[in-house]
Amino acid sequence: MIHLNIFYAAAGNIARHNLKSMIVVLCLSAILVPFISALSISEGTKKQSMISVEQGADIYLTMDMYGRNGMIPAALSGEIEKIDGVTEAVPRVIGRIYVEGRLAVLLGLPEKRFASAAGFIDGPPPVRDGIVIGKGLAESLGLRTGSDLSIGVRIFAILEHVPYIQKKVYTVSGIFDAESSIWTSSLILMDIEEAIAMFEMEGFVSDIAVYVQPGHTQQVVESIQKMNSFFRVQTKGTAMTYMERGFNTKNGVFASLYTLAFAVAIPLVLMLSGFGLSERRKEVGILKATGWHTHEVLEMVFYENLVLSLIAASFSYVLSFIWVRLLNGAFISRIFIPGIESMSSFPVPAEFSGMQLFLSFFVSLVLTMSGSIYPAWRTAVIPPAEAVR
Amino acid sequence: MNNSEDRAQSPEHRTQSTEHRIKTEEHITQSHALIRCDGIWKIYNEGKPNEVRALSEVSLSVERGKFVAIHGPSGSGKTTFISIIGSLERPSRGTITIDGKNIAGFSDAALSSLRRRRIGFVFQDYNLIPGLCAWENVSVPLIPEGIAKKQRKERAAGLLKTFGLDGRAEHPPEEMSGGERQRVAIARALVNGPDILILDEPTSNIDKESVSGLTDILNSLKAEGRTIIVSTHQETLSGNADVVYELTKGRITGHKDYNGPNL
Repeated sequence: MIHLNIFYAAAGNIARHNLKSMIVVLCLSAILVPFISALSISEGTKKQSMISVEQGADIYLTMDMYGRNGMIPAALSGEIEKIDGVTEAVPRVIGRIYVEGRLAVLLGLPEKRFASAAGFIDGPPPVRDGIVIGKGLAESLGLRTGSDLSIGVRIFAILEHVPYIQKKVYTVSGIFDAESSIWTSSLILMDIEEAIAMFEMEGFVSDIAVYVQPGHTQQVVESIQKMNSFFRVQTKGTAMTYMERGFNTKNGVFASLYTLAFAVAIPLVLMLSGFGLSERRKEVGILKATGWHTHEVLEMVFYENLVLSLIAASFSYVLSFIWVRLLNGAFISRIFIPGIESMSSFPVPAEFSGMQLFLSFFVSLVLTMSGSIYPAWRTAVIPPAEAVR
Repeated sequence: MNNSEDRAQSPEHRTQSTEHRIKTEEHITQSHALIRCDGIWKIYNEGKPNEVRALSEVSLSVERGKFVAIHGPSGSGKTTFISIIGSLERPSRGTITIDGKNIAGFSDAALSSLRRRRIGFVFQDYNLIPGLCAWENVSVPLIPEGIAKKQRKERAAGLLKTFGLDGRAEHPPEEMSGGERQRVAIARALVNGPDILILDEPTSNIDKESVSGLTDILNSLKAEGRTIIVSTHQETLSGNADVVYELTKGRITGHKDYNGPNL
């Protein structure tokens, strides 16, 4: 009952100091809204990327070139397919292209692969000079089946030391849709021969996607590595690990920046929460003078912070939801999705969860407690006669 | 040894204070003191250039159930002294015992418990919490007692009614007169049932009519057996006291016991 009484007193204090409470909540929200928004976008992007990898091939094969992934001879796909346990080896061409002044990703696949991907294609597989584009990209560029689209590729002629942009006009032969908004807004599918010609990589492809029978991945990897020590083999598992690590690094950088912001915010909350002000000091002095113990005063301050943090976290969660869902994560989404505009033209992927709400509540509580518990304790332990003076 | 100690133990001071202490101690030993102050010093900023000596070797005793007035002009150290008696402040030196226990050495928690159980304090400017209505202000000391809101309200309303404020229970202090605020503050001081009530300059912010009402309240509280200590610079309240101590420049300079020997 004592704790309940003190809790009600704390809730009453929040209502009584309504303006001050509102300012504290707004200050906390100013810190928490970008935090929750960024976390949700990061989670959404990560989830979509993971799905892409999950649904992709079991092994990706490239050549080691200067310690990085290099082009691989297209003809190798036939030999890879002969390895025991391999069900299919698909040569792919992947590259960045420019359409209407913006970046997109071009994926060149053999015609037979389009058939397996046809489930999401509206229209026939691309023919020579034809492309299939994502629904989001088509909507943002105002394209439909039959429209023409000019595609530019940056080429660097090594021997001549001359960079240039090669452009060609293609006809939209189909539009595809997918779960991932990132892909539908930036991906263009093309026949592999046409893609090889576009990137001037005659006889080579970007990688070979290898599909294997369940449980054969390790065995196939070993067989591939025996074929040529210059092969770079990446399994689905390692791809996921790298991707996760990349997202975690970004989140880590973001969290570090936020730690800095918190360090700045603590004195602000300290100032606004009123424990540095004579009014609150006097109030604590009155409580002590009427027989309250120091730990009871601190308990009340803790409850005040608890309630304020709950309000701030819930309010921030709602605002973040509005920012990400209604305002499509304007300005903040580009931190986690490279190459997009401040106002993204496609629905920014985002995942809201209870964990974010809990995290923001926890952060608020740490922030308000750091800003108020020590000043409250200092006020509570000075003689009441001095505190009320 | 610092300046204050030098001065404190100068021959002239020592003679005066020793004589005074002997007289006071004679009186104390003759009585059954509830509160006993012995050689209380209060020095602010001790040893610094802005050192202020508020109390110098003050000794007195208060018997149970008595009405004691600490009388003296402004700046004589009355508020400091009764704050020390009320355990709201610690003395720089000296001992203060309540029922034989030296509270000068009490911990912060023990002092809080003492204030909660034994002492009700009414500040000169009342120190009511703004925004809380009268009954809420009165019931503040009951919150950490674990008493439910309904009971707190009943007990506070009962006290307010006793002091003629039954129609004002829901009003905040901002909507009350000085006299009404004072009665709310007295009700708050009494809500935990303390046996010692201390009032700092209770007549300074109220009109003559309210002073008369206050005198009646204090007399009735005394009749209940409570020990009352009042600091005042006016004769109005001192006239009702059993014992009056004169405090001048931080020293007890006189003592009148209307029920016993005068020193």
